[in-house]
Amino acid sequence: MSVRDDIADQLGVDLEGFDPIRVVLYGTLVGLVAFYLSPLESGLMTALKTEAEFATSPPFVPPTADGFTLEPFSVAIDTLASAILNSIMLAVPATILSALLGSFAAYGLTNFEWRGQLGVVTLFIAGIFIPYQAVLIPLSRLWAIVNTKELLAPILDITLFSVQVPVLGTVELATHPHYASIINLIITHAAYGIPITTLLFRSYYKKLSTEMLEAARLDGASAFTVYRRIVLPLSTPMFAVTLIYQFTQIWNDLLFALVIIPSGSGPAAVATIALNELTGGIIQTFNTQMAGAFVAALPTLLVYILFGDKFAKGVAGEA
Amino acid sequence: MADLTLDHVSKFFDDDGSKVVAVDDASVTIEDGEFLVLVGPSGCGKSTTLRMIAGLETVSEGQIRLGDDRMDNKPPRDRDIAMVFQSYALYPHMSVRGNMRFGLEESTDMADGEIDSLVEETAEMLGIDDLLGRKPGELSGGQQQRVALGRAIVRDPEVFLMDEPLSNLDAKLRSQMRTELQRLQEDLGVTTVYVTHDQTEAMTMGDRIAILNDGELQQVATPLEAYHRPANRFVAGFIGEPSMNFFQMEVHGDTLADDSFTYSLSPESEDAVSGSEHVTLGIRPEDVELVADGSADHTYETTVDVVEPMGNENAVYLDFGDESRFVATVGGMRRVEAGETVYAHIPEDAVHLFDASSGDALKNRSLESVELAEPEPQA
Repeated sequence: MSVRDDIADQLGVDLEGFDPIRVVLYGTLVGLVAFYLSPLESGLMTALKTEAEFATSPPFVPPTADGFTLEPFSVAIDTLASAILNSIMLAVPATILSALLGSFAAYGLTNFEWRGQLGVVTLFIAGIFIPYQAVLIPLSRLWAIVNTKELLAPILDITLFSVQVPVLGTVELATHPHYASIINLIITHAAYGIPITTLLFRSYYKKLSTEMLEAARLDGASAFTVYRRIVLPLSTPMFAVTLIYQFTQIWNDLLFALVIIPSGSGPAAVATIALNELTGGIIQTFNTQMAGAFVAALPTLLVYILFGDKFAKGVAGEA
Repeated sequence: MADLTLDHVSKFFDDDGSKVVAVDDASVTIEDGEFLVLVGPSGCGKSTTLRMIAGLETVSEGQIRLGDDRMDNKPPRDRDIAMVFQSYALYPHMSVRGNMRFGLEESTDMADGEIDSLVEETAEMLGIDDLLGRKPGELSGGQQQRVALGRAIVRDPEVFLMDEPLSNLDAKLRSQMRTELQRLQEDLGVTTVYVTHDQTEAMTMGDRIAILNDGELQQVATPLEAYHRPANRFVAGFIGEPSMNFFQMEVHGDTLADDSFTYSLSPESEDAVSGSEHVTLGIRPEDVELVADGSADHTYETTVDVVEPMGNENAVYLDFGDESRFVATVGGMRRVEAGETVYAHIPEDAVHLFDASSGDALKNRSLESVELAEPEPQA
């Protein structure tokens, strides 16, 4: 009988498969999980406390019965509602546009051969490495010259948008002339996203079977039909990757929004800008700030949940 | 329906400024309904030739015609051809039905119901009608192969192009599909160009075979003609397994000599080699006879080096006592042991002679002693 079996007998438990190294490993892992989740937990707890409760308890401790309130969330939702709708109006089209255009470009750059192709690919790759800051001034100059509202006037009167939201009543989205700047922002983000989405799609399209695409051509399909009926349906996992990536990028962007939306805040402000309104002036209201952060982060979370399994496939490179 | 003609077709690739010849001036006419096998070692240009017919590669020089229609300048979709690829190239996101419908949807104006009935008919013919609802990923290799065939057949093209379609199957399935494919082609009567590097496929499937080497067409002939009357040394060595034995010989009047042995020639053979100093003597392994004594002409004492038993026959590697080895195949029931001394008879009427430098055949074996396969008429 070994020592371990002795101990097991005395304790009356089965120690078969017990491994001290495993205990240490799991202990460390649990510690790491706690470490990484603590800011999130503290944030959530803070958002559920009254200001008085927040002042008297450590941030990570759950609120007491007296100190519990959902008010920070309602304040945050009230303040951010229209900004979040603005952000959705920005992020959804900009994400879809950059993913779709990236996919087009990658198809043309990968599955066809033409002169000067490599030079164009190089330009696309170079585009990824241009920092946002480097283009701020040209960008603001550009949108100062281009009057989107007037340009679009014949096809779209963008001051007329208003949206009925069940809980919040009528949200006047576009009665402000600055609303046109959301369109500017969509175009900017779409353009800025194309290099990275193109590169992602390109690496994916390189792995598509050449023989399969040739078979489709021999079957009578035109280049565009091959894209629509073969390449596009096979790109779903990569679309999940680019959609999630671009949505997160665009949703969380502050720099372009600050530069392109002239008034800084106001009716056309996006969520990242509007968050600033929750700081509470001289006395910092941490609970509403935290609630605001959660509200503003919710859409990205939803996108991850919706496309998560496809995302995993795309990252793993499965077709 | 019409003949498919390759008229002095060449393909050049540009490799960093230097011209690489992939196919060099190939001319062949494939008759309507004929099964032509393009065979050759890897990199010989056979796939390039097929891809030029398909329109997936441009033709650098020459013309490809279907009947009198020039088709080398048409896009692939207008050529009325269907191709079966080595990797099957099925559309993974579509069902078998979708895969087979695709070509008809894209290249014809047929109504949905018409397409469906055609697809079902073809699927039934190939025995895959119960798989129509499945995706390619759920099928075995053999089933995928059938779907790929079905996709080509359902389009009812003028020409089938097949690029090593059986090479991804296991040996047993391959020989089964070989027969089936041949039967199908005969039933459908569609002109077929079939690319393979497998000489068994070439021998058994084709009405004619075209042997390519280094981009050059070596010979276009029926399988038996290529086997018994090879145009040159390359064809002689490529067709047949085990390969033909070759000996580099020097011509001395009516005898040939190399370091290990001398070979006396009949007057007829002597005429054939009269212009050459060096020739290659070729003899098929099955024509080498192992005999009891070395008294007869053209009989040489050899040592058995290795014996490869195959069941039906034994491949016997013989040795003249130096480095020069050659193979003889003998019946499977005949016992030969390594190390044994045997006498090899190399009959004069079975010998092929090739020019040593050009490789061209100077004399092929005589076919007089070959038995005819046709049965005797019944009395």
